Amino acid sequence: MSGFEALFAALTPLNLLLALAGVISGTVIGAIPGLTATMAVAVLVPLTFGMPPAPALILMGAIYTGAIYGGAYSAILLNTPGTPSAIATTLDGLVGAIALLTLAPPLSRVALAFGPVEYFWLAIFGLSLISAISEGSLLKGLAGGALGLLISCIGVAEVSADVRLTFGSQTLVAGINVVAALIGLFCIPVLIDLVATPGQHLQVVAEPRGFRLGEAVRVIMQRKFNLLRSSIIGTIVGILPGAGGSVAGIVAYSEARRAARPGEHYGKGEPGGVIASESANNATVGGGFIPTLVLGIPGTPPDAVILGALLVQGMRTGPTLFTDYALIVYTFIWSLLIATILMLPAGLLLGRYAYKSIITLPKALLVPSVAFMTIIGTYAIRNSISDVVIMIVLGVIGWILGRFGFAAAPIVLGLILGPIAEQGFVQAWTIGSAQQDLVGMFFGRPISIAIIAFTVFSLLSPLLMRRWKLKPEVAHVE
Amino acid sequence: MSNDVQRASSSDAGTAIVAALVTLFGVAAINDTYDYADFDSAVFPRTVAILLVILSLAVLLRWLAQRAGFAAAPSSETVENGGSWLRRIALVVVMLCAGFAMPWTGFLLTALVSFGLLLVIAMHDPWTPARLVVYPLVGVAIVLGFYFLFAKLLMVPLPVGSWFR
Repeated sequence: MSGFEALFAALTPLNLLLALAGVISGTVIGAIPGLTATMAVAVLVPLTFGMPPAPALILMGAIYTGAIYGGAYSAILLNTPGTPSAIATTLDGLVGAIALLTLAPPLSRVALAFGPVEYFWLAIFGLSLISAISEGSLLKGLAGGALGLLISCIGVAEVSADVRLTFGSQTLVAGINVVAALIGLFCIPVLIDLVATPGQHLQVVAEPRGFRLGEAVRVIMQRKFNLLRSSIIGTIVGILPGAGGSVAGIVAYSEARRAARPGEHYGKGEPGGVIASESANNATVGGGFIPTLVLGIPGTPPDAVILGALLVQGMRTGPTLFTDYALIVYTFIWSLLIATILMLPAGLLLGRYAYKSIITLPKALLVPSVAFMTIIGTYAIRNSISDVVIMIVLGVIGWILGRFGFAAAPIVLGLILGPIAEQGFVQAWTIGSAQQDLVGMFFGRPISIAIIAFTVFSLLSPLLMRRWKLKPEVAHVE
Repeated sequence: MSNDVQRASSSDAGTAIVAALVTLFGVAAINDTYDYADFDSAVFPRTVAILLVILSLAVLLRWLAQRAGFAAAPSSETVENGGSWLRRIALVVVMLCAGFAMPWTGFLLTALVSFGLLLVIAMHDPWTPARLVVYPLVGVAIVLGFYFLFAKLLMVPLPVGSWFR
């Protein structure tokens, strides 16, 4: 398959229209205060279930790209948010998408050397990383990951048709659908908190005039190194499983602040701050798709939702994805580039004309609309009312757990990685038992040892970082 | 016990309850795995359940240690949610009722009624004549728009409802 074949497939009118529609709808939902990019993807992803895989992937990628950018609207609220951030978004999104286009295929060839036990350890590594990076306690993050793994076992077992962990409930026999669980865990807690408090109506003080493209280009060209550095940071952070746009934004912002020139006042409306955080944030989209598509380990929470939707489509992610579904995957990557370019006109127009109405949408309309979308979207996955009930119940459980420091992200990752981890674990266990060398099977293979070492390092790194940070303070106090 | 530790331990008591519940779920899961016919079905969930029990017990022990003053209290881990509990509960009840009622009342009627109820639950501002007209109209437009999108364009067989058959 030639690269041009996929490019031409991405440029069909339907795919272009889907990319534009995805960018616009993602931007609108992402711009609503209180809603996140993950939520935008989770709420809109059921729309793709009736589509063939390539258009579905294109729509999801475009929604994600738009939602990340839309999130900047209520955050920035300075002048016209559509102008400088749309240009920055377009440029840095291209960096992430190009990284996906160039890095993913060779990495997938490396990943072909992985056996069942390596996949098991890779799933554990992904879990350890997100648990370590996720906010709050490491112990709670790991417990959340284990809970997600256990929830993924609910229903009829693939290997032997045993009915597992249903505790007599017929509703659970069909298992927990990953997308329904993701919608519940990511959307319902947000709704529960949104409904409880009066709307914080944002005051838009500045009255924008025109697109101010020239001014925006000048601002960005003056900070081109900041843009490039932040885009690279965003891409790298996006590649790390579990680390999302917020981590990338913070790292890029602090780097930009550290490298600030005289006269730049970060924290007081300095455009370099917006460029750094938004560039890094948006570059995580392309970067995050690398582990998602190559290894089946989601780079960011929205990637987890997209991964779940791919499973609904019958596509199994992993290294063979680039050979088995080459045309679909490359069409998607090209479309991601196109969606990134479409961000510019969409961002300019929405930022100029629509952002005020989006960010001041009354909560009384927002809550029932989102609740309604979660119900209809979940129902559409398998035409099942049980999925809707499970989605709501899981959402409530997720909200309660979240109140006490058990974040949703590790649970979701456990749910996604559960089948990969179980398949690898059971196969390795069976082979190891047959060879009467279980220890050698799990701990003796070179790639496994390397992944275990990374896992241990990722688990210990927060403790080491804390100790390293504490030392100077202790010395200072003394 | 210092005031800080006392305050943290009382505000974080929910952590202990949640950790205990998760531990119980883990124990129930371990017990469940002994009923499976094939060992291959049991090995993974049993291993994970044991891990879950160990981790949640560790959370519980850490909480006890904090309560006894042996460890620093991580005050930032719990989230203090303000706002109306009544509205929170009403939201969940309405959504669950909509899910359970849909097979009987059908998608359209359930969606319109639940949208209206959620609109009232989420309304914190005073109702003005304009809002009384515009908000319900917008709600109906959203419900009908999504009904058309899913039922007619995406061909999702939305429940008609046994009352209307």
